[in-house]
Amino acid sequence: MGRHIVHRLLILLPALVGVLFLCFCLLQVVPSDPAMIIAGPDAKPETVAAIRKELGLDRSIVIQFGDYILRVAQGDLGRSIISNKMVIEELANTVGPTLELMVGAMLMGVPIGIAMGTLAAVWRGTFVDRVIMAISVAGVSMPVFFIGLILIQYVGFKWGLLPFTGREGPIWAGGLPNMILPAVTLGAVLIGPIARMTRTAVLEVLGADFVRTARAKGLRERTVIIHHALRNALIPVVTLIGLQAAFLLGGAVVTETMFSWPGVGRLAVGAILSSDFPTAQGAIMILALAFLLINLIVDVIYAWLDPRVQRG
Amino acid sequence: MSGETTTMAGAAPAETQPVLTSRAGVLRRLARDKVAFVAALFLTFVVIMAALAPWVSPYDPYFTDLTKVMQPPNEVNWFGTDSTGRDILSRIIYGTRTTLLMGLAGVLIGGVLGAVLGLLAAFYRRLDGWIMRLVDIMLAFPAILIGLAVAAIFGAGITSVVIALVFAAVPTVARVARGAAIGIMSQEFMEAGRVIGVSDFTLLWRYLTLNCISTIFVYLTLRFGQVILIGSTLSFLGMGAQPPTAELGMMASQGRDFLFLAPHIATIPSMAIFAIVLAANLLGDALRDVLDPRLQQ
Repeated sequence: MGRHIVHRLLILLPALVGVLFLCFCLLQVVPSDPAMIIAGPDAKPETVAAIRKELGLDRSIVIQFGDYILRVAQGDLGRSIISNKMVIEELANTVGPTLELMVGAMLMGVPIGIAMGTLAAVWRGTFVDRVIMAISVAGVSMPVFFIGLILIQYVGFKWGLLPFTGREGPIWAGGLPNMILPAVTLGAVLIGPIARMTRTAVLEVLGADFVRTARAKGLRERTVIIHHALRNALIPVVTLIGLQAAFLLGGAVVTETMFSWPGVGRLAVGAILSSDFPTAQGAIMILALAFLLINLIVDVIYAWLDPRVQRG
Repeated sequence: MSGETTTMAGAAPAETQPVLTSRAGVLRRLARDKVAFVAALFLTFVVIMAALAPWVSPYDPYFTDLTKVMQPPNEVNWFGTDSTGRDILSRIIYGTRTTLLMGLAGVLIGGVLGAVLGLLAAFYRRLDGWIMRLVDIMLAFPAILIGLAVAAIFGAGITSVVIALVFAAVPTVARVARGAAIGIMSQEFMEAGRVIGVSDFTLLWRYLTLNCISTIFVYLTLRFGQVILIGSTLSFLGMGAQPPTAELGMMASQGRDFLFLAPHIATIPSMAIFAIVLAANLLGDALRDVLDPRLQQ
């Protein structure tokens, strides 16, 4: 177990440096020389050179990168070009809503996916199975924004059942209605893959000896399915859910943009479209770190659930 | 659909798997699957329409007519018109062309790079650890995030989306190629080639690559639907094709502003993406079942 985690951490480290370097590059692509901008159009070359020195722009790229890592470690991600707020503050305000959205999506998608997959496996080959599998393949093929468009158009606009723009504070303070549509949109993405994986896993387990034994000793079918089959089938499903959680962040970018949900994804998209490089850098960094963290957690849980992984 | 996917674990693959003798055999078995047949037919139609776009599209996709904006589907404009009076059907045909080319470029470039990495990792065991570590790192980041980062650095545009799709394809293809190549490496003819003094390059290309190509190709086919989905999503976010270029994801995104006035402007391109990806996924599933049950997860 310990060795496995160390191995994963060893992969994590270069990935982390890669992310930081990418974000560092992002700050280098500013179209013109920052020193020139600060000095103004009529500045003498000496003034520009002085400003370059002051900003540290005259040093080698490696040293600048080292400097950048130090600053990031202290939480200094620079200032937004657009709002002039500290990027770290912007991030602190947006991380919460994104997490909230993701948790809401998982609470919606995971149980439905597992239930559908189990039903399909139990009634394998029947009409129910075929309908469930058709729904899940459709779910895998549907763009997130299409689900969102339909929900906004019908549930939000035509039938006027739920609000579809912005966030009205935390769930416990009346923010729930605003969260439902984005969470459903994002959660719908999860149902397909989870249902498919659960079906395969349950089918595999249903053929196992211990299930036959459980049936042979006269247990009720429901007990066999839920306590014996489903429990053992959940190992690959948990891994998949973890992996999906990482990809859920990608979907969150789309969902947040559509529903004007004030999260990190929307911040990133807005910053990129308005060439606000410091904010884009910060938002991409946070998203990337979240991916790495989720991957690590999934690996550890997987190794803990299935001891074979550690040996392999 | 995945069909009857009983596990083959434990059974010797050679005994349980019917040996595929000919390409015609594969096609015949695919044709027997009605869903796959319809999907293939639809995709063929889509590809032909996209390829012949200048000849088959009823109107100029860029011609704006402010006297008839946001018209719902009718006899003249089958899919209606958009906010500047452009014919949506024509734009869908051209947009499909852009979207498919974008996906194709991503899959092909990513496929080649990934295959090279995977094959090298299998051939030169010294490189294996390094290459696979690189692949693990790349796998940690999903395509949407890579797309955002690439667009932030190089600016939004089709090139940025293609770069993101390549990045997303490389690690998974590398894994599949490596897996296939390791199987081939243990075959006797590899050893025989080495013994008679065949050069590394010939071994790599004639002995290894040509034997792995079909597996890699099948895998790329399976991925194509997903790639289209990612590409059009990035365009929807504004990271890809820029107006006035017709591209399905971007058309959906532009239509979003008029969702309540004229829902068809956003809905029709979205439905087009959905239909293409669905057909690609259904065909991919069927192909996987017919060709190689072991590829299933």
